Amino acid sequence: MRKTRRFFTNWQNLLAVVIISVYVAVALAAPWLAPQADPENPVMFRLLPGPRATSLRVPRPPQPDARLGTAPGGADVFYALIWGTRLALRFGLVTALSTAFFGVLVGAIGGYVEGPLYRLILRVTDAFLTVPAIAGIYLFGLVLIPRGPDASPTLLQAITQALRLHPVMLALIFFSWMPYVRLISANIVVLKQTEYAMAAKTLGVPPLHIIFRHLLPNAIAPAIVLVTRDIGGMVLLEAAFTFIGIGAGLPWGVLLVAAKDWVIGPGGNPWTYWWTFVPATLVLVGFSIGWNLLGDGLNDALNPRSRGRKRW
Amino acid sequence: MPSLLKFLVRRVLAIPVTLFIVTAVLYGIIMLAPADARAEMYMPRWGSNNPNLRPEVLRQQIIEQHGLNDPYPVQYLRWVSRLVQGDWGWSPGFRTDVLAALLERTPATVELTLYSVLLLVPLGIVGGALAGAGENHPVDYAFRLVAFVATSLPPFILALVLLSFFYASLNWFPPGRLSIAEELVVAKGTFTTYTGLLTIDGLLNERSDISVSALRHLVLPAFTLSLLHWATLGRLTRAAMIEEQDKDYVIAARGRGLRERVITWRHVLHNAMIPALNSIALSAASLMMGVFVVEVVFDFPGVSELIVASMQGVPDMPAAMGFAIYSVLLVLPVMLALDLLQAVFDPRIREGIAEP
Repeated sequence: MRKTRRFFTNWQNLLAVVIISVYVAVALAAPWLAPQADPENPVMFRLLPGPRATSLRVPRPPQPDARLGTAPGGADVFYALIWGTRLALRFGLVTALSTAFFGVLVGAIGGYVEGPLYRLILRVTDAFLTVPAIAGIYLFGLVLIPRGPDASPTLLQAITQALRLHPVMLALIFFSWMPYVRLISANIVVLKQTEYAMAAKTLGVPPLHIIFRHLLPNAIAPAIVLVTRDIGGMVLLEAAFTFIGIGAGLPWGVLLVAAKDWVIGPGGNPWTYWWTFVPATLVLVGFSIGWNLLGDGLNDALNPRSRGRKRW
Repeated sequence: MPSLLKFLVRRVLAIPVTLFIVTAVLYGIIMLAPADARAEMYMPRWGSNNPNLRPEVLRQQIIEQHGLNDPYPVQYLRWVSRLVQGDWGWSPGFRTDVLAALLERTPATVELTLYSVLLLVPLGIVGGALAGAGENHPVDYAFRLVAFVATSLPPFILALVLLSFFYASLNWFPPGRLSIAEELVVAKGTFTTYTGLLTIDGLLNERSDISVSALRHLVLPAFTLSLLHWATLGRLTRAAMIEEQDKDYVIAARGRGLRERVITWRHVLHNAMIPALNSIALSAASLMMGVFVVEVVFDFPGVSELIVASMQGVPDMPAAMGFAIYSVLLVLPVMLALDLLQAVFDPRIREGIAEP
């Protein structure tokens, strides 16, 4: 309880909590903030009726029926940002938490059993550390997206579609669990030698119970810090992937891609079409700042060595 | 330094195991696709010789000829032996061999990576050390603020801002690798390619204007790429510096009457660098990923073209697979170099007592 209170007396932690709460509130209130025309068939981009196809391409400034103007294709920026919040939050939470879950599980068991199995796990972990996630993403896309309209989906395609897992999410999970294994297993190896773990073992407590009830709670702190930062980090990564054309197509990234050619307006003036990229950038950077701040705050609260230190 | 050499040999010997695991996993991913889709990995070099052959029939032929319905280990071994022989498949999107397409674009990527790493490692360590040595002094505050912003800023947005300012407004640092006129000079027979790195080749050909231009084109991508990892490395170094300052050997050094500056920069920094370098070595893959993203944003003609271009055309499985394996081959030397740097500073790692 005292820990919690100290956590909230720090203005940086408070700011982090406020920022994240705003994003969560917007995500929850999306149907009221930006009503869908047809709730049965939700769309992430609302096209504003334009006069002519030729002039439709030019982004239109903020106006009553598009509070933050339109993107170059004619999509309402405000609407895309609101619904993008919901998708980004879901994307970040699902990807980061699944990654952490898998990594912690493998790391905890590996660190406890030691021996050849542990060495094998470490070998595989080190091998995965050499694969840039970007290389796996396109590959996953090729395998998981059915070819052609009439192609019947394979079993794996059906499963990922049923779970609403985008290939990009799957690829990110598949290629980012390694740090968790390293963090957790190193901690577990040390904790295993402590008296209380030995005592539990001597008393005949089953290994899984020792790992998950006794050792893991003492080993998990660095993983919690990492997963918090990863929630923001995964969304940033996705936006970067969308930008170069291989992402999951979340609205924030899509808005920035569309704005790419409009950042520099006529006469080299970068502010002519500010509404095409400034709001999306602020929303994206704010999201990542919020989770990064929270991660740093948790690090100070959970890591005994950094207690009382000032940081940023 | 024979122990350093031994360390290097140990590390290099571990590489085949890593490559085996990575290729097995990547081929496993491909195996999730039906044989029909995988047939394009084995498309004949210039399409089919017989124009009347229907694609379905051709696919069926390939599936039979290459045994694409065989069990996984058999197919994997067959595929790896092709890979080792340099047959990385034929890319329908690029209309060339995948390996040739990759090798052609390698020098650009290597040059960008090299300059970025040379920029970020020393600056990251010095920045973190300065901040950590004067904890809560103005330098520390400034460093923390810059580093925090740098870690939260998406590189591609930073790239857009930099381009709109330094290219569109000032025209100092253009995108691409060279201007069109200079590309023509390099393509001519009189310009000999020694290393493929334009900054060095320009000097060797006594065309320093090419070197200068290549450097100008490198400034923005290298800066964008370095900033994020500079901040990460700096923050790690700073945290390690602060932790080391309370250790007994520092008190002992102070007791011996050593000057504070010597203690900080020789003793404390020496020990603080090791964990910081370790974490940056582990994120070599994410550094390489940054290289690819930056290449795309700045129109830099590196190996990432292979996936981006194949996005727009037909699905290009050979190119995707080739790119994946190739990117691992690019990460390995970066990791090795950073590991080696750690071994230089830490005798325990050098002797194999502690794992890096």
